[in-house]
Amino acid sequence: MPDQPTHRVTLRPVQTELTAPAGTALRDLLFAQGVEFPCGGQGRCRGCRVHVLEGQVSVNDAQRERLSTEELAQGWRLACQCALEDDLVIELRQWDAAILVDETPFEFHPRAGLGVAVDLGTTTLVAQLLDLSTGRVLAVRTALNSQARFGADVMSRVDFGAAKGGERQLRDLIRQQIGSLIEQLVFAAHVSQGEITDVVVVGNTVMHHLFCGLDIEPLSRYPFESEQLGLQTLRAGDLEWKLSREARVRFLPCLGGFVGSDLLAGILATNLSERDELNGLVDLGTNGEIVIGNRQHILCASTAAGPAFEGARISMGMRAATGAISEVKLEGHAINCRVLGNVPPQGLCGSGLVDAVAAGLELGRIQPTGRFADGVTSWELAAPVVLTQSDIRELQLAKGAIAAGIRMLLDRFGTSVGELKKLYLAGAFGNYINRASAQRIGLINFPSDKVEAAGNTALLGAKLALFLPEGDDGSFASLRQRTEHVALNADQSFQDTFVEEMGFPQSTYA
Amino acid sequence: MAQFEELKQAIIDGKAPVSKALTEKMLAEGVRPGEFFPKAIIPAMDEVGRRMRECEFFIPEVLIAARAARASSDILRPLLVGEDAMTAAGIVVCGTVKGDLHDIGKNIVAMMLESAGFKIVDLGVDVTAEKIVNAVRDHQANLVAMSALLTTTMVNMKGVIEALTAAGLRTQVKIMVGGAPVTDAWAHSIGADGYGKDAPSAVELARQLVAA
Repeated sequence: MPDQPTHRVTLRPVQTELTAPAGTALRDLLFAQGVEFPCGGQGRCRGCRVHVLEGQVSVNDAQRERLSTEELAQGWRLACQCALEDDLVIELRQWDAAILVDETPFEFHPRAGLGVAVDLGTTTLVAQLLDLSTGRVLAVRTALNSQARFGADVMSRVDFGAAKGGERQLRDLIRQQIGSLIEQLVFAAHVSQGEITDVVVVGNTVMHHLFCGLDIEPLSRYPFESEQLGLQTLRAGDLEWKLSREARVRFLPCLGGFVGSDLLAGILATNLSERDELNGLVDLGTNGEIVIGNRQHILCASTAAGPAFEGARISMGMRAATGAISEVKLEGHAINCRVLGNVPPQGLCGSGLVDAVAAGLELGRIQPTGRFADGVTSWELAAPVVLTQSDIRELQLAKGAIAAGIRMLLDRFGTSVGELKKLYLAGAFGNYINRASAQRIGLINFPSDKVEAAGNTALLGAKLALFLPEGDDGSFASLRQRTEHVALNADQSFQDTFVEEMGFPQSTYA
Repeated sequence: MAQFEELKQAIIDGKAPVSKALTEKMLAEGVRPGEFFPKAIIPAMDEVGRRMRECEFFIPEVLIAARAARASSDILRPLLVGEDAMTAAGIVVCGTVKGDLHDIGKNIVAMMLESAGFKIVDLGVDVTAEKIVNAVRDHQANLVAMSALLTTTMVNMKGVIEALTAAGLRTQVKIMVGGAPVTDAWAHSIGADGYGKDAPSAVELARQLVAA
């Protein structure tokens, strides 16, 4: 057998050097480095584009369709469509972000042993190792979900699992990844694997089904309802994890439709279900999830916001990583941009996008319809980063979906913004978004003092579940009984409300 | 003539009460019902399509303009008889495929096609292949326009085309598809006749397909 030639790949700006055999898919090579493939590597989006600085990379039809002649000439390629045929130097725009880790103190009932809490997100994973007798966090590990190479959003995962027969592959991937994260936690904390008695995992409904090996076909089509939403209890031995065979692994139950156990954990974390007054919880993600309720009754819903908050489908969008404009502040009639990592600006992340549009509305550069004033088609925020007309349109879709969802849930509860004590924002984006800007663009139509960033409530809730007395799984059932899932998309008035919420509120000063 | 300009502007601006009142006034003054479409409604919606394509108009503006066009055409349709009878540009069966509830995009396409002189049979959302086959047969349609917004439901478009073929209706209709995950390549691979990337392109495509 002849020796297979290998090629060297240098990644910038990080200066990582890799070597791989000729013909290796760039997708596999780069995925291992944390690069994401939003459409699942099918050449349907532009999310994985890379800038080839040196070396030869062939162009195919899919790239000609998604990239302009100019971009191709400059060396831009879609990584998912390329194979290694030369030594390369490539520049990556996408880079992984800080994942929110919860550090909130909480009340607990001590018990013996160690436990692991896992927040299994569509994009990111966070695992914490806890001493169950003291409640102390012994180690934390984060990672990008290894299923992401089969699609960035839940629907492309469902498609790969249900239509393309990849359910088992997705299940095994995520089980192995969490298993190895737990090994890393054990190693980092210098403890023994045998001491871990309990693992609690939370995640959205699709993650729940994929991890537990349940049929995801019902989640691929209307009415998007699965019969298997309940608590799943497994043993470490079944998962081939290197723990005591009998260690208990629980995936907390989902609330309905696309509202998963991450939101159930959020309810536990904010104590929303135990209070007399009314509170709300919103997770601003690709799939926006909304909960409103009190001790008596809880309503929840999900609404497809699309990936704009994560910087996807935004012309110069990127995740909240080095080089991203994360804040835009008004200073008189000018703007001032803050760039993560104190480097020259390279793109715009979700919080920066919301700020930029809020500033544009205040300055009168953007009209309430979303159209730029004076017929321009883009606005330079900080060279070379620009905000384009279509970026504003993407944001209008995302914020319209969330605002409509909140409004409809309040209506359904027969209440109004004024009667809500607090609105908690869950997740990373909720933590970084400027609340005044969110209000200015009509995303969160609440006074700033009512809105509170609650951090990673999914992880906090998972930790609380570790400390529930043995055999207290019944409290999940009681919580689920009081919670009503509202299928927004089946409500005729949702579409009208959605369209109404696409516009921006009028300027506060003319 | 100035009145047609005024009506056209009222539609573009999305002023339904104005377009309704103007239409009634012009009819009372003796304007023939058959003149409204070619002189005001069709050019107005073509202009709305142009603005949408250039990102000047977004979904809310397009929807209110279409509503204003409908305020006028609802009055006119019953009057389009005898010498004012208009031949429909085509008969279109449209809907969002089985398993999918998204209807905003489909509604915009339907309203723009209607304003362009097509007769629309809108089957709504979550529509089965069987329902589409029956509608094509019952209405003697010559176009089918399908939409899907999910990667998991767009496969059902293929089933519709197969069902039309099995029913012996495939040669009678042209098929156009659209929706966020749909691409030109996908349209070809399932044997559709065309793909519209947005509502204005869909109108253009429909015109080409019925002329072919």
